[in-house]
Amino acid sequence: MYLKKSKSVGASSPLNGIGKQDWDSRRKRKVAEISQALSVTPVDVAALRRMAISEGGLLTDEIRRKVWPKLLNVHTDNLPEKPGEDLRENHKDYHQVLLDVRRSLRRFPPGMPDEQREGLQEELIDIILHVLDRNPQLHYYQGYHDIVVTFLLVVGERLATALVEKLSTHHLRDFMDPTMDNTKHILNYLMPIIERVNPDVHDFMQQAEVGTIFALSWLITWFGHVLSDFRHVVRLYDFFLACHPLMPIYFAAVIVLHREEEVLECECDMASVHHLLSQIPQDLPYETLISRAGDLFVQFPPSELAREAAQQYSQQTAASTFKDFELASAQQRPDTVLRRRRKEQAALAAQSQSHAQAMVVARPRAKRFVRLAVMGLTVALGAAALAVVNTALEWAPKLDLQLFP
Amino acid sequence: MESSLELTTSLSGTSLPPLRSRIFKIIVIGDSGVGKTCLTYRFCAGKFPDKTEATIGVDFREKVIDIDGEKIKVQLWDTAGQERFRKSMVQHYYRNVHAVVFVYDVTNGASFRSLPAWIEECRQHSLGQEVPRILVGNKCDLRDAVQVGTDVAQKFADSHSMPLFETSAKNPNDNDHVEAIFMTVAHKLKSQKPLVLSQPPGADSTVPVRKREEEEERGPWGCSC
Ligand SMILES: Nc1nc2c(ncn2[C@@H]2O[C@H](COP(=O)(O)OP(=O)(O)O)[C@@H](O)[C@H]2O)c(=O)[nH]1
Ligand SMILES: [Mg+2]
Repeated sequence: MYLKKSKSVGASSPLNGIGKQDWDSRRKRKVAEISQALSVTPVDVAALRRMAISEGGLLTDEIRRKVWPKLLNVHTDNLPEKPGEDLRENHKDYHQVLLDVRRSLRRFPPGMPDEQREGLQEELIDIILHVLDRNPQLHYYQGYHDIVVTFLLVVGERLATALVEKLSTHHLRDFMDPTMDNTKHILNYLMPIIERVNPDVHDFMQQAEVGTIFALSWLITWFGHVLSDFRHVVRLYDFFLACHPLMPIYFAAVIVLHREEEVLECECDMASVHHLLSQIPQDLPYETLISRAGDLFVQFPPSELAREAAQQYSQQTAASTFKDFELASAQQRPDTVLRRRRKEQAALAAQSQSHAQAMVVARPRAKRFVRLAVMGLTVALGAAALAVVNTALEWAPKLDLQLFP
Repeated sequence: MESSLELTTSLSGTSLPPLRSRIFKIIVIGDSGVGKTCLTYRFCAGKFPDKTEATIGVDFREKVIDIDGEKIKVQLWDTAGQERFRKSMVQHYYRNVHAVVFVYDVTNGASFRSLPAWIEECRQHSLGQEVPRILVGNKCDLRDAVQVGTDVAQKFADSHSMPLFETSAKNPNDNDHVEAIFMTVAHKLKSQKPLVLSQPPGADSTVPVRKREEEEERGPWGCSC
């Protein structure tokens, strides 16, 4: 019972200052290219990823319904059955899920009749419990419902169940561990990215000791929790579904950097900076920011930041973080991660110390400015999208192998 | 961890002495769904929110109040109730907390039984009896559904040397009550913190104040409920 009427996201130009006609014709061309990519056997997934990333994303919910399954390699001919009612009483997370879904009114289109909304909320509960029940290794977190509702509203209950299950065992896997340690490690990438681009903002935020929790809900809901315009949410989902699982943290960095002036003018204390950053502006230039996030990903790929993310924070865990993260992003079971971590901890502790020294010497500050010039170019050429796809494949070969065995 | 007061300095003109207001940082904790977000919203915005959502991580609200002619900034840190957020995420926000508000839902016995765990979490962040702590039983408007009686709650509060307040973030008749609860905490904080000496302009705007002596407050402190 998805919203058949909520169509056409990119009806008007998503970029300011570009002629409507120009955009209309590009849009038409894009629709044709997407159809083409869908019609070949096997489906041209690389082309679909490019389309999902580039200007305007996948354009309409109708297209999303066809393309999202391909991006996740979910087969639509064999969808799971509707879950039974008995799940409700028996599941350990039932009460939390119920509580969160009941108060998630804002996620539904304003003006939707209560009855319809309540029906969708029931479906939302069913999908979540179904996925959790089939995957006991996954743990519900507050915010998961914000992700699931996006899929429910775009593709309907049955397909949403299948897509969300795939997503949960891949992109969202780290957030669904018994603890949020891996999520915290991912948040540790935020400051190194910011530092590469604008050391002043980085230093200011460090001095304010603002931490990274302001970006937590951004990361674990793919911004679904904080953006009130659903069109922006689905546009971002196009982008994230086509990219490396760490892309949301690059996008978070880009938002902070976009607000650099406001940040630097803010009082330099934890409360003020946290408050400023956690109130996300609703009129962000999404297409520009998406393109910029892609550029940053290419210039400062996770592997380059991993050691820094590990060493910049918390001395006690620094040694294990890098390794943890590598393993975690390869989507291994957490128990394996933990076992290996124990074994390798001693060795890594020594190793990372020498890394730390080496990195300091090897990273001249000027480098980031040279690279920024490159960024401007790639935005203009739209090459970032292509590069991001390629790099995504390069950096996450394991993830991709699992999605496309 | 040291409980400290902070000063913010704002210059209203170059020749005038800096105006500063003290900041009281209060953390609000308790199980998911007990009404932490509604209570903090009610205090800061003066009304019951029509739509709240699950709190992910930590939310922050503040309100400037006036006590005996002094402007004081009350910062409320509204935390996520779900267990998994606590260990790795919320920690950071326990720093320099001046007071703790524990919340349970009077219509939900489980939320009351979780209180010892919440008190223990605070203790682990060095927030024991030396900082003002209060216990708030929320949703009193739902009279027919009460599961936690006042007597039981009062006994519990006494045993932990906390004052107990029963209230409702929702019931408009209790509007003043929610306000009064936080004001009581603010008064308590103000009365026990020595005034800070003025600082020449340009000095560091954040000044830790010497630690409060461990004196009078052993028992539950004055409450109007
Ligand atoms: N009847 C009633 N409902 C309340 C009251 N305070 C909160 N609620 C409801 O309880 C639910 C959870 O509230 P919320 O503030 O989000 O809880 P939190 O998880 O502790 O932040 C929401 O649906 C609120 O509308 C109250 O005083 N009375
Ligand atoms: Mg809340």
